[in-house]
Amino acid sequence: MPHKLPDPQYVKENYQYMTLSKDLEENIYIFQVLLKGNNDMVFRQISIGDKKVKAFLVYVDGMVDKLLITRNILEPIMIETRKLNKIIYTDDQLFNYINEYFITISEVNVKDKIGDIIDDLLSGETIFLIDGVEKALIISTKGWEGRNIAESTTESYVRGPKEAFVETLRINTSMLRRRIKHPDFVIENMKIGKYSKTDVSIAYIKSIADDKVVQEVKKRLKKVQIDGVIDSGYLEEFIEDNPFSLFPQIAHSEKPDRVSAEILEGKVAILVDGSPFVLTVPAIFAQFFQAGEDYYERYFLSSTLRVLRIIAMVTALLFPSIYIAQTTFHQEMIPTQLAISVAAQREGVPFPALLEALFMEVTFEILREAGIRLPMQVGQAVSIVGGLVIGQAAVQAGLVSPAMVIVVALTGIASFAIPAFNIAITFRLLRFIIMIAAGTLGFFGIIMVVMMILAHMASLESFGVPYLAPMVPSKTQELSDVLIRIPWWAKILRPRTIQRKNIIRQEDTRG
Amino acid sequence: MKRFIILILTIAILLTGCWDKREINQLAFVQGLGIERGKDDMIHLIVEILKPGLLTASGGGTGGTGGGSAVGKPYAVFQASGVDFAKAFANLNDELPRSLFMQYNEIIFLDEKFARSGIYQTLDFMTRNPEFRRTAYILVVTGGSIQELFNLPSSNELERYPYKEVMGLISNQANTASSYVSDLNEFIETLEIPKKAPITGRLVIVKKDGKATGIRLSGSAVFDNDKLIGFLEEQDTKAVATLMNKLKRSTLTLDKGLKGEKAHISLVVTKARTQISPKIKDGDISFDIKVNVEAYLNEQETKYELTEPENLEKLQTIVSKKIKTTIEHALFILQNKYNADVVGFVDILHKRNPALWKEVEKDWDKIYPDVKFNVAVKSVIKRSGLSSKPIHPR
Repeated sequence: MPHKLPDPQYVKENYQYMTLSKDLEENIYIFQVLLKGNNDMVFRQISIGDKKVKAFLVYVDGMVDKLLITRNILEPIMIETRKLNKIIYTDDQLFNYINEYFITISEVNVKDKIGDIIDDLLSGETIFLIDGVEKALIISTKGWEGRNIAESTTESYVRGPKEAFVETLRINTSMLRRRIKHPDFVIENMKIGKYSKTDVSIAYIKSIADDKVVQEVKKRLKKVQIDGVIDSGYLEEFIEDNPFSLFPQIAHSEKPDRVSAEILEGKVAILVDGSPFVLTVPAIFAQFFQAGEDYYERYFLSSTLRVLRIIAMVTALLFPSIYIAQTTFHQEMIPTQLAISVAAQREGVPFPALLEALFMEVTFEILREAGIRLPMQVGQAVSIVGGLVIGQAAVQAGLVSPAMVIVVALTGIASFAIPAFNIAITFRLLRFIIMIAAGTLGFFGIIMVVMMILAHMASLESFGVPYLAPMVPSKTQELSDVLIRIPWWAKILRPRTIQRKNIIRQEDTRG
Repeated sequence: MKRFIILILTIAILLTGCWDKREINQLAFVQGLGIERGKDDMIHLIVEILKPGLLTASGGGTGGTGGGSAVGKPYAVFQASGVDFAKAFANLNDELPRSLFMQYNEIIFLDEKFARSGIYQTLDFMTRNPEFRRTAYILVVTGGSIQELFNLPSSNELERYPYKEVMGLISNQANTASSYVSDLNEFIETLEIPKKAPITGRLVIVKKDGKATGIRLSGSAVFDNDKLIGFLEEQDTKAVATLMNKLKRSTLTLDKGLKGEKAHISLVVTKARTQISPKIKDGDISFDIKVNVEAYLNEQETKYELTEPENLEKLQTIVSKKIKTTIEHALFILQNKYNADVVGFVDILHKRNPALWKEVEKDWDKIYPDVKFNVAVKSVIKRSGLSSKPIHPR
């Protein structure tokens, strides 16, 4: 008794709210209406047992493990169900038997909402339907080709775990779970993106993380109404506190060891399927100058390196500006010998120091940008052209002074010494602003812009935590992990700037 | 609209900033500023201006061809004159293609004749103008003109230009204390203390057959107010430095051995602490001067073993006596020859006994020559160098 099938247009608009029907034909029809024209959809119709109950299997080719489907779904259902022959069963019973006795796959769900079923199908699950039953088996057969876990390319360590996150969310969460084996470690899931339906996980430790921060993260993520989330960078822009600030207010990392360490401090990690970069909130300014390695090397070395990085930061930000200001406004501040030498070098240079510096800095930035996306072999050629030809030739042609080349080179190298790429970009941009101020107003200009930057930084917040904490507002005790790093056995408390719920990290075991 | 206003303001601030911009290669670096008084009573300014290109060309090796010294002197000497310092300075500026940059000048050379005529105006100009370093040394040039000094033949010098040579002399004299060089700050400070006489270094141009061949920092120049009145010899300068507690290191040569025989013994004074306290008795002012000296033996012609306490004691006594004589000699010169209170006894009196100072301040010039000084020197010889026993040749 074929009843009237629903209108295709109606199905397309309302499938989200529809449930499966008893009639397999109708169900197949609905699937076909929704997914017609996709040649990666595999529809398989089978009959079960003597009664020849019609059944239907659908999956997306390429997102499933085909061997798994053959061995653990089709084989048992098509061959083993013969044993059911002697038993009298209804369609519903058959459905349950298949679920309980035949499908040898660990994760199977039962669903009846077409919207959910379609979502699961498109995430790589296999859908199994039986005639006369208005439910579907969602069989977990996800299995696609992904990148293997490899060494990180953006954060490499000399000492410490080498593995980095990959694009597959599940593998990423497993890497975190492997490091924190406690029931309080929670990984919550949500889907963001109208079309992409990207899986996003929020990971934190229930007994450490600040509840308010967790709630705030969820609230902000729920507000996101974008059509697709391709990388965690999309979400970062949606949920950061001040979207117009040059400073990154959310940290990201490619390393599971670093993320789990931050989770242990009480931070919340946001993992996005398809992105190997995991966001952590709240972020403070100081952490952008800390490499994960700081915590694995002995503390003397780490402390020294941190001081070195601060020097590098100041150099990257101010060195060209100081050079400009001193050579155009405050010559008396340069040691005499150096001043004479600089004056001699600038003899015949046609441009004022500011233009000279801008010219070289822009050249350097172009070179860097050109080299960064090229394959390794070509990248080397670029650096040769850049370093030798432009640097040397510009000096010989009298366009720039040798001192300026040194200034630009040192600035460039210093900016590479900043561990976090995102804050290095901020400093690159700010450097140009300060350079212009230095070229027009001298040290007065530098101080003015730096004051403005500091005021801005002091006004920033990341999920309720002041950006400059623990320097401003000052928490003297926590400074022991900012400029320097005290040894692990001395870190009795967790940073109180991040959370205050559970601050005892360890017992004092070494006095 | 708000953004537009901010933009306009930013541009306004940035554009007004450039007015005092000077590129470093548009500056005329002055190292060496000389002041003379000409026969016409005009003030002559003589400056030594560096040529950075020539200075670095042969030194660095980046010049390509090298041999920078063959090109010529790495500096040029300019001269200008005017009725006063400011006018001369302005005239000098008019003669130069680059703007004068005085900040690197750390020595002001005063011609003897100019110094005798008074340097007040010059000091006034220099302290008003932010371009001059207040830490610049003041030297009085004798034995030749400043032109001669600035054009010294480079073959006789270690440094590449005369200014540097003098600069080296100044820092090197810390080892011998044979001169006492004041900087602008110290000179002006001294000027402002009533009745205290400023003192600064004397630079002697050594001549051979009427041609300047070298320079020597020797002794010091004594001023009465802003006018030069005379010079102190090296020994007297050392004594004055000791009295002013400014002696850091000096040499001392005795011409008598421990038993009074004629022999030379040299010592290096490493420490000298002086305490001066005024004494008033029956209206007469006298000063007790206590000097504590530490020294080590540098060379001896005789063969005394200083490990013997007896010998050490004797040597210490001789040293004390020698220093005492030197100090007394210097004081005698200051009192009777120049009537100049270089050490600042008047200042000490002022601090210790303000009431009395008020009485004597006016007549200090008359009182000072007759003031009695009781000098007591205590010297300690701490070491005898690396060898504890003298060499005994067979």
